[in-house]
Amino acid sequence: MSWAQALLLARGISRGWRGICGATVMGSPFPQVPLQAPRGLHCSAAATAAGSSDSWLAPPPPPSEPQKGPTKALAFHEELFQRAPEGTRDKADFVRAVQNFGQQNVHKRGHVDFIYLALRKMREFGVERDLAVYNLLLDVFPKEVFRPRSVFQRMFIHYPRQQECGVAVLEQMENHGVMPNKETEFLLLQIFGRKSYPMLKFVRMKLWFSRFKNINPFPVPRDLPRDPVDLAKLGLRHMEPNLNATVTIYQMPSSTDSTGAAHPAEPHIVGIQTPDQQAALAHHNPARPVFVEGPFSLWLRNKCVYYHILRADLLPPEEREVEEIPEEWNLYYPMQLHLDYGRSGWDDYEFDIHKVEEGPVFAMCMAGAHNQATLAKWIQGLQETNPALAQIPVVFRLARSSGELLAPSSGLEEPPPPPPEGQEEEEDDQQRQHQGQS
Amino acid sequence: MALVLRFLNGAYIFRHCPKPYASCPYLVTRFADYCSSSLQNPVAASGRTSSQRKSEGDLQGHHQREVALDIASPEEKPEVSFDKAIKDEIKDHFRRLKDDIVNHWIGPEGRPLHEVLMEQAKVVWQFRGKEDLDKWVVTSDKSIGGRSEVFLKMGKNNQSALLYGTLSSEVPKDGESGRSGYCAMISRIPRGPFEKKRAYDWSQFNTLYLRVRGDGRPWMVNIREDTDIIQRKNQMYSYFMFTRGGPYWQEVKIPFSKFFFSNQGRIRDAQYQLLLDKISSIGFTLADKVDGPFFLEIDFIGVFTDPAHTEEFAYENSPELNPRLFK
Repeated sequence: MSWAQALLLARGISRGWRGICGATVMGSPFPQVPLQAPRGLHCSAAATAAGSSDSWLAPPPPPSEPQKGPTKALAFHEELFQRAPEGTRDKADFVRAVQNFGQQNVHKRGHVDFIYLALRKMREFGVERDLAVYNLLLDVFPKEVFRPRSVFQRMFIHYPRQQECGVAVLEQMENHGVMPNKETEFLLLQIFGRKSYPMLKFVRMKLWFSRFKNINPFPVPRDLPRDPVDLAKLGLRHMEPNLNATVTIYQMPSSTDSTGAAHPAEPHIVGIQTPDQQAALAHHNPARPVFVEGPFSLWLRNKCVYYHILRADLLPPEEREVEEIPEEWNLYYPMQLHLDYGRSGWDDYEFDIHKVEEGPVFAMCMAGAHNQATLAKWIQGLQETNPALAQIPVVFRLARSSGELLAPSSGLEEPPPPPPEGQEEEEDDQQRQHQGQS
Repeated sequence: MALVLRFLNGAYIFRHCPKPYASCPYLVTRFADYCSSSLQNPVAASGRTSSQRKSEGDLQGHHQREVALDIASPEEKPEVSFDKAIKDEIKDHFRRLKDDIVNHWIGPEGRPLHEVLMEQAKVVWQFRGKEDLDKWVVTSDKSIGGRSEVFLKMGKNNQSALLYGTLSSEVPKDGESGRSGYCAMISRIPRGPFEKKRAYDWSQFNTLYLRVRGDGRPWMVNIREDTDIIQRKNQMYSYFMFTRGGPYWQEVKIPFSKFFFSNQGRIRDAQYQLLLDKISSIGFTLADKVDGPFFLEIDFIGVFTDPAHTEEFAYENSPELNPRLFK
């Protein structure tokens, strides 16, 4: 074998011996650097040997803490993240842990593993969407060492492990939707140089994030309100396209002394109704019942809230009122303007399909509890603004947690599916949904 | 195995029949392609009765029963006799071939030319019956070992399709996956006689129209072109569809100029517009990293020409990322 291979083999054997000898020596409780130090081929052998020889006098890593369990081995710097007592992990602790790493290790040994560990731990500390923390983490990299200095170094991936680590940090930023800023760019420049993969990824993030920042036509704020009433108001406004709708709080949750959670007998009830819906309800035939259906799920970012609707079945074709087109009584300007795309008879932008028609929805509400008593209170509250509701029979069709909305069972041309089969399917859905949620 | 045997048998019989299509090895490779693509474990749509269906429906039912292990459907024993099935399939393919030739004289896809040229809004997929559901395949990350479930069934009154399930972003412990949690509904590639792959030609339309009702989750719409060429195997054009949630039907109009190009799941630096003349399939994916149940109700999917939309392509190439394009 060649002299280089012999050298490496000898070095490996000597390290192994030192490790065995060092296992019996007690020393400071700081953890020891991994066996194969992550140095590139560019560092001198002397530096590596000198660097590793110091550490081989240190003891093996401390025994795993009892709360982790004896079978799971700790990562090397994990105890830096365990200083804080359980339940109070926050940004300050995380920042302190990262800074401690820098203070312990002037040469930042094992920084790649530490950064991977810190990326994994971010979620526990709740800082995964904090740009300052990501910049601090990028600060852990030693500067100016990994920058390529010649065209050959630029051609081949210079310090690939560190570049992969940098890309992993940026990828976690991308996953959580954090936009990097000028400080990140400067840090990446200092650490990796302009022609490196982390810098390329940064440029791509800048481009595509700014392109896709505002493409959501129904944006939901990042920080959802904690208060259930505010969340209900936000959800109802989100669902209702008509801006004239009025949101009414029919019942506020009564707070208890100890925990502050809503009293179970008085959950919040928030409803929404537009003036058009009010008018439609006033015109509704009292002989036909209206249905309270629900609960249906609505996702706001990562929170799921449930809502109920008050709707009626579609009228059969014979009972539908034909809209009269009033004759034009104003000669100065048209009272009704129909602006279509079509330029003339040859333009037809309508689809050749009969769209799904469903009965009108009269109101929506979000309540803390999904039982009939709460919804009855909602109906009573609705009766104040819609006196016609007092004469209309209300049927409660609840306890369906499957995702779909019920279509009217009569009044359409196609025959409805047989009800027992439909209910069976829904019960299956319900069970699956319950299993999914529980 | 039986599937391959039947295909080979079919190929053997066809070898002796005169037909205007390409020579035998081409046919055999095409069948092989169909076999390999069908072995990718799609989760079968629930509610399918796989018995008593002719020709390719029978074949699909067959491979579904082999492959779909997680749908608890009652085990139906169809009366399958291979000879009858093969004869039916041959007859069906010849009938389709005859229709194809006859329709060619009438016009594209059997409709008169003036109707096709003047068309400004076209319904491509509608969900009014169980056979419309067969045009779609439903997948989830179960194929890589994840735990999301997704099902497709007809909605109430057979007027819409309901795609529902549970998303779980638990990473499968196979040592190579870093992330997980996706569900997708993909349309089947349209096939002509003898399983020849066809494509949709939407070159005179410029907007995709969907009438859906969701639960507030953001979906991604993916359009794939012909994927037979190996360079194009993982390429697709995508854009996002944001559902509002609520009891009202939502009309989503996505112009084709907004679709960005991606390869192997990553957005590429060199972007070019989606060319509409050879579109293979369209798909909807949900992968928004939020665990929990979801649903999406679809009324129909169509394409139309939006006269107010004049943009050709929404994304410019930047010289920083792609210096070679700007030389």
